[in-house]
Amino acid sequence: MKPLSIGRLALLYLALSGLLVLAMGLYFWREIEQTSRQLQARETQVARQELAEGLQAARQRIQAIGESLAKWDETKQQLNFPEYYTLWRDHRVRDTGLVPASVVAVALYGQEGDILLGSNSANPMPARLPGNPPMLILKQEGGLAYLFYFIPVHADPAGAIKMGYLGLKSDLRMAMAQARAYHYADLSTLQVVIPPNSVVQADQALEYLRAGIQANPELQAFQGLLRDSMTRLAIVLLAALLLATWLLDRLVVGPLRRLSAEIDALKDPGIDLTAHRLEKLPLPILELENVRRSFNDYQSRLADLHQNLEKTSREFFDQARRDALTGAFNRRAFDEDWREAPQDRRLDNLALILFDCDHFKAINDTYGHHVGDAVIQAIVHCLQQALRADDRLYRIGGDEFATIIADTDARHAQAVAERCLAQVMAHDFRQYGMSEPVTISIGVSMAGHGDAQDARLTLLELHKRADLAMYAAKRPGGQKIMFYTPAIGGAEALVANRPVNAVFQAIQDPEMIEIAYQAVVRLPLMQKEYSEALTRIRFEGQLIFPGDIFPIIQGRNLDAEFDLAIIRAIRRDMDSGKLPPGEGVSINLSASGIVNARVMEAMVALLEAEQGRKIVVEITETALITQMETATANILRLRQAGALVALDDFGSGYSSLRYLASMPVDLVKFDISMVRLLESGEARQRLMIEEIARMVITAGYELVAEGIETRELLEKVIQLGFSHAQGYYFGKPGEPMTGGR
Amino acid sequence: MKTVLHWLLPLLMGLGIPCAHAETVTLTLANKLMATAEFHEGEPDKPAVILLHGFLQTHQFPTIKRLADSLAGEGYTVLAPTLSLGVTYRNQSLPCEAIHTHTVAAGAAEIRAWVAWLKARKVKAIILGGHSLGNIYLLDYLGSQPDRLVRKFIGISIVEGSLKAGEQARPGLVGKLRDKVRGGGREIIEGQFSFCQKLRATPDSLLSYLEWGPDMILTAIDRIRVPITMIMGSRDDRLGEDWLPRLKKTRAKVIVIDGANHFLDGQYEFDLLDHFLAELKGI
Repeated sequence: MKPLSIGRLALLYLALSGLLVLAMGLYFWREIEQTSRQLQARETQVARQELAEGLQAARQRIQAIGESLAKWDETKQQLNFPEYYTLWRDHRVRDTGLVPASVVAVALYGQEGDILLGSNSANPMPARLPGNPPMLILKQEGGLAYLFYFIPVHADPAGAIKMGYLGLKSDLRMAMAQARAYHYADLSTLQVVIPPNSVVQADQALEYLRAGIQANPELQAFQGLLRDSMTRLAIVLLAALLLATWLLDRLVVGPLRRLSAEIDALKDPGIDLTAHRLEKLPLPILELENVRRSFNDYQSRLADLHQNLEKTSREFFDQARRDALTGAFNRRAFDEDWREAPQDRRLDNLALILFDCDHFKAINDTYGHHVGDAVIQAIVHCLQQALRADDRLYRIGGDEFATIIADTDARHAQAVAERCLAQVMAHDFRQYGMSEPVTISIGVSMAGHGDAQDARLTLLELHKRADLAMYAAKRPGGQKIMFYTPAIGGAEALVANRPVNAVFQAIQDPEMIEIAYQAVVRLPLMQKEYSEALTRIRFEGQLIFPGDIFPIIQGRNLDAEFDLAIIRAIRRDMDSGKLPPGEGVSINLSASGIVNARVMEAMVALLEAEQGRKIVVEITETALITQMETATANILRLRQAGALVALDDFGSGYSSLRYLASMPVDLVKFDISMVRLLESGEARQRLMIEEIARMVITAGYELVAEGIETRELLEKVIQLGFSHAQGYYFGKPGEPMTGGR
Repeated sequence: MKTVLHWLLPLLMGLGIPCAHAETVTLTLANKLMATAEFHEGEPDKPAVILLHGFLQTHQFPTIKRLADSLAGEGYTVLAPTLSLGVTYRNQSLPCEAIHTHTVAAGAAEIRAWVAWLKARKVKAIILGGHSLGNIYLLDYLGSQPDRLVRKFIGISIVEGSLKAGEQARPGLVGKLRDKVRGGGREIIEGQFSFCQKLRATPDSLLSYLEWGPDMILTAIDRIRVPITMIMGSRDDRLGEDWLPRLKKTRAKVIVIDGANHFLDGQYEFDLLDHFLAELKGI
């Protein structure tokens, strides 16, 4: 169910309240109407009762009048001597006061029922008796209702001597009006619904009477008061409802909506938390005010936390991009800054300056690492002093630094380079115990300041040019600041720097890499078990060997990229059949490669694709592995994927016993220098090598001997218990195996 | 005796104990009308008394009613008729405004009929008594061959029938009425007579009454042969100043009860009874 908004809920509540008020109003209105109808029914009933009583009284009265008149001596006088009948009928009867005004006519009838004398008045009496008296009847004449009463007139008080009859005609409405007071029945509307020319016995006359109800001022006033009260109540309730709506919207709905909007706004990751504060003024509802304050407090804390996280993140980010020794940006920062710019970007007004310490290896070897480190720190300090505050200085190699200067030209770049050189030259390096000066070589490449072709330089090309310029600056007797020129990039430069070009291009194009497979044989059977992949780069028709390749790679931290290129080349050979199916292969990975995720992914993919093939991963330069835990985990991962792991160059200094004890390897490859000591070394050296070999074998490792070139040396290692051997004795790399079986 | 009657009669009447048997009797008149009367049959050896009411009254008129009852109580046969005045079984007094067709002569004829009725009941003597103008019916009867059993006439509060317009106007009025009667006029006219300011009557009816003026009454008294006693009240305001003196000059015995009014009611009714009884004892 979709949740409702507070506005809709409030509206729903108010609508329901309004409906309830309306229903209650209708209910009360209906009750009033029902009560009014009941009162009207009651009034009708009472009015009917009044009519009945009025009719009864009128009947009794006309009967009483008739009886009085019938007993009146003057009535009898007229029946005996009707000479003055009209005088009696028209005056005498009226003068006595016996007959009220409602009796509109009086007549006497003889014993035969015939009227004594007719009348021309407006209210004539019937010429003959309509029946046998006494009788009381109701009749309608001329739209008016009359009660007729006919009664015998007797001469004697005992009623034995009938003289004739007396007839009375009474206006019913008038008679009833005189008979009693009416509080409910409206006699002015009295109607008698009897057929024309027909008569009704008076005792049955009530059912033929119809009369309206008198207006009841008190009831009407009461009903009016109730209706007015209901109307006023409805208006008051409506006003209260509107006020409640306004208050609800102002006090609850509005603040809640703003709260909701503010909370929704927090979904925007780029929101400025400090700019979004709820309701600067306190809210009038206690609970909402608590929510507002809590939210603001929470938001403040969140903003503080966010700022702290940002600060911490910036610090971590900064630390990860800084060189621990010098504080300058490291190679990673340099690579990321490069990657932020697209490779095909046109570079305008950009200068890349490379710095390299001259003879640093000699300084290191001569004065030790601590002096070397101090020299490096001093150079960085000098360069940072010379650069602008916004210019970044990168340590991209052991003694190699770089900076990128944007929006500049050659003259300005020259000035920066000279200032850097001057700062270094002015520094007193004797404080570190050195007796000779320290110099740096500076290579500069510019973008956007040459011909049209220069304007389309890629960053990679720019880097290569600065590299060439720097190597040119290192030439003895030359200038220490060199800008790249086409002359520097000419044939001479290309020859001198061909391995560098070869390495950079081979990384981009693994087809340039040729793998020479050297057999590793099983001892003592001397059967080929697998081959070690040895890297060459074919560049401009000539091969460049590892001795020229790996210094360039290590100097530019291209180890992982080059490992990937080698893996792609080996896979190419597997696909092409150069490395036959089923033939094992040993692959060398750099110290950087063993902790590089991309290299590991490539290796695992290769292992999964070649599950039937024996693949040995040789790890060398273990002393350079700084992330030992990651390396150990990756080695385990490779072993789980089916690879055997060999510790290469054991004994050369890069791979020591400490790493052997901590690394989960399967094979240990004795460095060629140690193997040769078995043949040409002193007795003590041979003894130590032999003991080390026995110790490694005793520890459970298989031992590989490199550099086997003679039969004697082979036999010696077989004697010592080596499990594998390789070397020229079995054939040069890339050639078929000759020395073994 | 007088003292005893003062106390005994009201007590007996108040208790509703009849002093003598009374009944309503009827008489068919010559004009077929029925006349009624209250009849008390008394002791055979005592004379019968006919008591006649005044003008337009009935035998229920208090003066007559009380006297009749008292006389009946004394053992006299009493007949108190109600003149019909043209109404059969009349039992109500006729208003002045009623249509009067009766005459003095018709009334006298009814007296004659009642005398005959009594005579038929073997009474030994008849005493006629009347009140106020009722006396003229009796005078009219007595003036024209009354029955021999009629031995005495006792008139009570007899009036002279004077006119407010003055006695000098009577001849003129009578003359006009006689002309109307002779001309056969039957229209109802209104004239003053006795206590009626407008007596609505036929010409012959009114004429019969107007003819009985003071002189005619006095003359009639002197003409009749039976003993006559007139019992009068000294304070009767309906009498002219010279009526009693003129009356006393007639052959009638005049008894004036000092202080009594026209109706001799109150304490004077006993004086009336005493005097009436005294007059009867001589019969």
